[in-house]
Amino acid sequence: MGGDDDKRGGRGFGRKKVCRFCAEKNASVDFKDQATLKYFVTERGKIIPRRISGNCAKHQREVAIAIKRARGIALLPYNAVVG
Amino acid sequence: MAETQAAKRLREYETIFLVKPDLTDDNVDKLKERVRGIVTREGGKVLRFTVWGKKKTLFPVAKQPRAIYVHTSFLGDGRLVAEIERNLRNLDEVTRYISVKLADEVDPESRPVLEDLKLAGDVEETRPGAPVEREGGGFRAEVPEFVGPDAEEETSEEA
Repeated sequence: MGGDDDKRGGRGFGRKKVCRFCAEKNASVDFKDQATLKYFVTERGKIIPRRISGNCAKHQREVAIAIKRARGIALLPYNAVVG
Repeated sequence: MAETQAAKRLREYETIFLVKPDLTDDNVDKLKERVRGIVTREGGKVLRFTVWGKKKTLFPVAKQPRAIYVHTSFLGDGRLVAEIERNLRNLDEVTRYISVKLADEVDPESRPVLEDLKLAGDVEETRPGAPVEREGGGFRAEVPEFVGPDAEEETSEEA
C-alpha cells in the first residue's frame, strides 16, 4: 500500500503555484478582459480547474463567473472546435 | 433623522451591448443617445460611453462573425437597468447585452462625467467566408498535459 504510493510519487513538480490575482495587488478579475481570462480556459473553451491554474478559491470563483459572463457577449467561446 | 435629502446614493452599473456589424457610426450614435436619454429620464447619470468598435466574436452572433461592442457605465437603480434592458431587447440592431453592478452606494456628485471614447476595434478586414485563422492558441497548448496522476496526487496530499 505504502509502496504503491512511493512508486507513483514523483512528487516533484516543486513549482509552487500562486494565485495570480493574489500575487498582484491591484489585479482584479474583469469579465471584459479577454486577454487575461484566456489563461483560465482551455483551447476548447473549458474553464481550467483550480488545481491546475493555481488560483485561490476566492479568485477561482470570480474567474468562473467572469468567464461565463464573457461567454455571454462572445468574448470567450462556449465550445471551440479544436482544429 | 435619516432624511432622504441627505443621501441620494445610487448604484453604479455597466452595460455592454453588441450591435450588428453593418451599422454605421451614425446609427451607433443614435443608439447611444437613446440609452443616454433613458438614463437621464429615470434619474440616473451616465458616466461614460465607450464604443469598442467592430470586434471579432468567438462564435457567430446573429449569423455574423463580428459585432460592434458598446460599453457604458452609469449610476442608477434597478428600475433603470430593467428599463434599459427592456429597450435593448426591443431594438433589432442590438443582438446581445449584459448589465453588471459595479458598486453600491455611490454619491453621484463624486463621479465625474467622462467624455465618450471610441476605440478602433479589430482592424483586419477579412472577406466574409474566408477561412478564419486561429491565432495565439499556442500558450494554451501545454496546459492539459498537467492533468495527470501526478498533479492530482500532489494536490490531494497537500489538502
